Amino acid sequence: MVKGNSGRLGSISRSLLPLFCGVISCVVFVGVWEVIGANPENPIAQVLPPPSKFLPVLFESDFKIGLGSQSASIYQSVTVTLIRVISGMTVAFVGSIVCGLLISLSKWSELFILPILGLIAPIAPIAWIPLALVVFGVSNLTAVFIVFMGVFFTLTIATVAEIKRIPENLLITAENLGGGNFVRWKFVIIPAVLPGVFTLLRLNFIAAWMAVLAAEMTGLRDGLGTVVMTGRNLFNSNLILLGICIIGITGFAVDRLLMMIQRKFFWWKV
Amino acid sequence: MSSHSSALGERHHQPILVCQQVAKVFHANQQSSFTALEEINLEVARGDFVTILGRSGGGKSTLLKLLGGFITPTSGQVLFHGVPLPGITPKIGMVFQENTLYPWLTVEQNIGFGFKVRGKQKCQYALRVQDVMEHVGLAPARHLYPHQLSGGMKQRVSIARSLAIQPDVLLLDEPFSALDIQLRRRLQKFLLNIWQDTEEATMVLVTHDVEEAILLGQKLIVVGGQPGQIIESADISAPVFSDRYDRNFLDLQQHLERVVGEEPDMMENPFSWATVSGPKITSHS
Ligand SMILES: Nc1ncnc2c1ncn2[C@@H]1O[C@H](COP(=O)(O)OP(=O)(O)OP(=O)(O)O)[C@@H](O)[C@H]1O
Ligand SMILES: [Mg+2]
Repeated sequence: MVKGNSGRLGSISRSLLPLFCGVISCVVFVGVWEVIGANPENPIAQVLPPPSKFLPVLFESDFKIGLGSQSASIYQSVTVTLIRVISGMTVAFVGSIVCGLLISLSKWSELFILPILGLIAPIAPIAWIPLALVVFGVSNLTAVFIVFMGVFFTLTIATVAEIKRIPENLLITAENLGGGNFVRWKFVIIPAVLPGVFTLLRLNFIAAWMAVLAAEMTGLRDGLGTVVMTGRNLFNSNLILLGICIIGITGFAVDRLLMMIQRKFFWWKV
Repeated sequence: MSSHSSALGERHHQPILVCQQVAKVFHANQQSSFTALEEINLEVARGDFVTILGRSGGGKSTLLKLLGGFITPTSGQVLFHGVPLPGITPKIGMVFQENTLYPWLTVEQNIGFGFKVRGKQKCQYALRVQDVMEHVGLAPARHLYPHQLSGGMKQRVSIARSLAIQPDVLLLDEPFSALDIQLRRRLQKFLLNIWQDTEEATMVLVTHDVEEAILLGQKLIVVGGQPGQIIESADISAPVFSDRYDRNFLDLQQHLERVVGEEPDMMENPFSWATVSGPKITSHS
């Protein structure tokens, strides 16, 4: 009995342990920051005002950031950025799976197309910003395009590799059970590659996230990146820190969301 | 030969699968080729349970793949219902040695996969799937995914998935070799029950386990030699060959173990074995 109880307690505390430690370390981190920043003479406090200084900015400004007609609510900024990242990643995810399937149809298309993708994939998404601004102007399309360019090529290469990795017998079995070519695509190849490609999408989220923020800082007029830039233009370090904080928390939340999606929808290993 | 028909009782005797002078040569590259099988003549009749025995690398899987249309013979032909086998067909089911269940589908969905890929609506096949699941004792596990199953359950699902679409012949390539001895015995009995329950069921099973080959088969062939040929065949439909403690069973087992066990020697002196064909064993009770 005793042994069983301690075992159960052990497993509960083990599952809560990361959360517990995470909360503690965040609290300590913010606490130290507050102590250091409490003294306004301290130079650190000027550049890095603690949360007690920059969070009130939110309420004072009625959750609005920016001047006059250009001001946008925080809520709006977060949504705009999220929509850009998520639509860019969704288009890239679907597009790369479709393209990967098409490329793997023939040995020749693999031989001819993959090298090009391999060349384009390492280009930092940020590098596409000027081009995108020229082509699409200051619009949502620019941001979506940049996110797309940041992940599409890597994911397409990954899809082709994942298709190669599918055990031959899974395909032969489908044929043996009466499935034709198209059916094998739909019922075997696509489900078999989804988890691997989604994992890579998750790993590439940071790149996409950086890309969209950089685009917002350099060209676009709204979104989270703009909040930080507004802070810079107004010499308002409270605003800069607020922007940084929201960027961090939102990015973290999206990463968790992607992990949850993976666990719920793309959990299997082939 | 006369004991043959009486022992098989009411089972039918139309040949379903026939190998005529089948040979299979693998080409590694332009220069070198490897003859895996040669001069294979074999007849699988409706209702048969044929077991194929042989040492590792002897060409058993190759023979099974030829029978299923998974590979084409280099010469000779494989006839299915009297016409040359065109290729992979749902009428000849195959259970592979390794796990080929779809990890993203539940037990129930895996078993129904053969209907789904042919565009059937769920309502059309749900009953059949339910039936098969109950028959193989997997109904309680219907909502589990393959990674939640034991090795024996996985093999049962694979067999059920092939049986669900009612193939004319079921081919099994060492389906139990990854399982421990107790489980293997249970699944042997399970497979035998399925075969006995279904009048028309025809099975061809590859194994390297002599006991399994005798216990399950009604006909037994040994593939051996270099290139691989049928070096021995026996009719083992008599009841004595389903009792692993019977003297006849043990004698045959000993004999076959010697035949299979001596195999590697022939690699050293291939010519002396070129014409060898093992003693014909005919059963009589
Ligand atoms: N695709 C292939 N290409 C070239 N050689 C092959 C191929 N498939 C099989 N072989 C060769 O044919 C021979 C017979 O192989 P096979 O898989 O039929 O043996 P097996 O009797 O099933 O052995 P095991 O009991 O180990 O499964 C082996 O020597 C193997 O190397
Ligand atoms: Mg084999």
